[in-house]
Amino acid sequence: MIAKIDSEKCIGCGVCVRTCPLDTIRLSEAGQAKIAYPEDCMTCFACEMVCPVGAIYVHPFKEILPRTLSNMY
Amino acid sequence: MQEKQYKTDVLIIGAGSAGLWAAHSVKVQNPDTNVLVVDKGPENWGGLMSAAGGDLDVVMPDEKIEDWLRDWVYYYDGLCDQKLHEKLFARSYDILQQYLEWGCEYLTDENGDMETVGVKQRGLDHIKLYVTKIKGSGGLRLVNALVKAITAEGVESIGRTLITDLVKNQEGRIVGAVGFDTIDGTFITIQAKAVLLATGMGGWKSSYMSNTETAEGLEMAFRAGAELRNLEFSRVWVVPKLFGWEGQTTLLPLGARFVNARGENFMEYYTNNPKLAGNTDPHYTATGMCMEMRAGRGPIYLDTTTLQPGKDAVVMPKMGWQLINYNRLKDDCGIDFFHQKTEWMPQPLCSYGGLVTDSDGATRVPGLYAAGRCRSIDPGVYTGGFALMTTAVTGQIAGEAITEYIRNVEIEQLDSAAVEEYREKLYAPLGKPGINSKEVLRAVQRIAYAYDVCLVKSEKSLNNALHQLETLKQELVPNMSAADPHYLLKLKETEATVFITECYIRASLERKESRAGHFREDYPDHADAWLKWLICGLKDGELSFRTEDVPIDEYKIPLTEYYQDNFKYV
Repeated sequence: MIAKIDSEKCIGCGVCVRTCPLDTIRLSEAGQAKIAYPEDCMTCFACEMVCPVGAIYVHPFKEILPRTLSNMY
Repeated sequence: MQEKQYKTDVLIIGAGSAGLWAAHSVKVQNPDTNVLVVDKGPENWGGLMSAAGGDLDVVMPDEKIEDWLRDWVYYYDGLCDQKLHEKLFARSYDILQQYLEWGCEYLTDENGDMETVGVKQRGLDHIKLYVTKIKGSGGLRLVNALVKAITAEGVESIGRTLITDLVKNQEGRIVGAVGFDTIDGTFITIQAKAVLLATGMGGWKSSYMSNTETAEGLEMAFRAGAELRNLEFSRVWVVPKLFGWEGQTTLLPLGARFVNARGENFMEYYTNNPKLAGNTDPHYTATGMCMEMRAGRGPIYLDTTTLQPGKDAVVMPKMGWQLINYNRLKDDCGIDFFHQKTEWMPQPLCSYGGLVTDSDGATRVPGLYAAGRCRSIDPGVYTGGFALMTTAVTGQIAGEAITEYIRNVEIEQLDSAAVEEYREKLYAPLGKPGINSKEVLRAVQRIAYAYDVCLVKSEKSLNNALHQLETLKQELVPNMSAADPHYLLKLKETEATVFITECYIRASLERKESRAGHFREDYPDHADAWLKWLICGLKDGELSFRTEDVPIDEYKIPLTEYYQDNFKYV
């Protein structure tokens, strides 16, 4: 899931905001990208791939969902 | 709330492979036709194709479609619309050629030939896929090529807009749709001569990049009078427990294996066909996984150390999200995908239910067409590369049919009373106190993800699930609220997910046998009387089922053997 947007690197270009399929990222009032709806991230890395300054870090581990055999793992 | 109005000849809902191909097709037929593509995600983002590998099933010129048909009839246990498959795959080579012409690249042998490098699927004799030249961002490249083409052709697009209701005229013809801007909440009305749904299947927001296909397209078409079929089949994928991975359909044929906690290729317990013990549809593998875990032999791992040597070019991610994912797992999480076993598990993605259409994609509602995955073609078992090919062709065909249809159709005013009713209902949950829809989604997932609901079904487990769902519908769904337009989108998605879950459970109860991607522990064998499609319509506000025989005697290929018979679980 999206883990971090480095505010020192972010230039507020908004490309990640426009790219996220799930509308997870928005621009803050200060004009920087912020993780607005973290629970919607599907770990597609699209934001990280388009960021021109490498400000975004997506952790490869996904959201934990209910299991098919809940008592076994 | 602000309002914005659009007027177009053809409204396409969904900017994935099917929607984009349909837009291109309409423009090829008649460049003067106005086309508007609307998506709830970013404008022209490509839908699930943007994250896909880019693999394509193609019948090459030196092959016979009849050979592929024979594979499908066997693989689908007879539930193959043979005329449709023949029609779709007759165009598969042309689709490949178009992608190549647009600059997309596919893997070839040292002589530059593609024919020799196809990867056979699911232990079948003929069906095979072709992989993109550079693994990692193949799907995205196809999206970029298509978007470049339709942009040059003058197709208009809007994103972040969810269409919620179809609007009919007095004769019952679809004349437009309404929805809302999911960022600022603006109410959207669109007048159109014809509407194409390309909204994908309906699922449970699992972790396999499928968080966007949530059935609202199917639900609104159903409410408008269209029928659905194949609802009893679900797509249960096998996925890594912790992370995402694209490309099982290539890894397994090339030697990777699922093993149990003892290191055994456990599928050997469930099939006598050595060809299928390690390489079959996830439906069968996932069922085997459940049986193994139920027997105490879990967890299940994917063993990549058995990959055939020298296949790095095919399986190793080279760019895109797959490369970042691979490197980060290695560098930051200590997981070296190709040199160790990783834990995997079954996970339901979606129902295979889709709209019933004629061969061109027309539903029984005048003016309403469907293309791509929201038009159900396959009964719960899948071959890699099937979706990217069939979404392209069904989009292309629907674009041609719509071009004909709109020749004698005018743009009409939308019925203002109906529009007002839709508007009022749409915004009712906005800003009121209540439950966040994610909570309800979780509760639906807990119902649908249970192994005896998504895979090893029985009358008892399905009735239990239905009871839970009815309670949820009464107690939670009416109390969902949305703090802002973003959450209103999620709420509408959750409503549709509840709808498709009910369809799935009720349809699963109806089919009292096992066939293709539908396994009933209480009816573990196929029954001759069930060589039919199960179709669902709306009658007096309730789901109503009917069946339609598969006209096997009229088809080219007889049903002589069942793929399912290769497996025995009980």
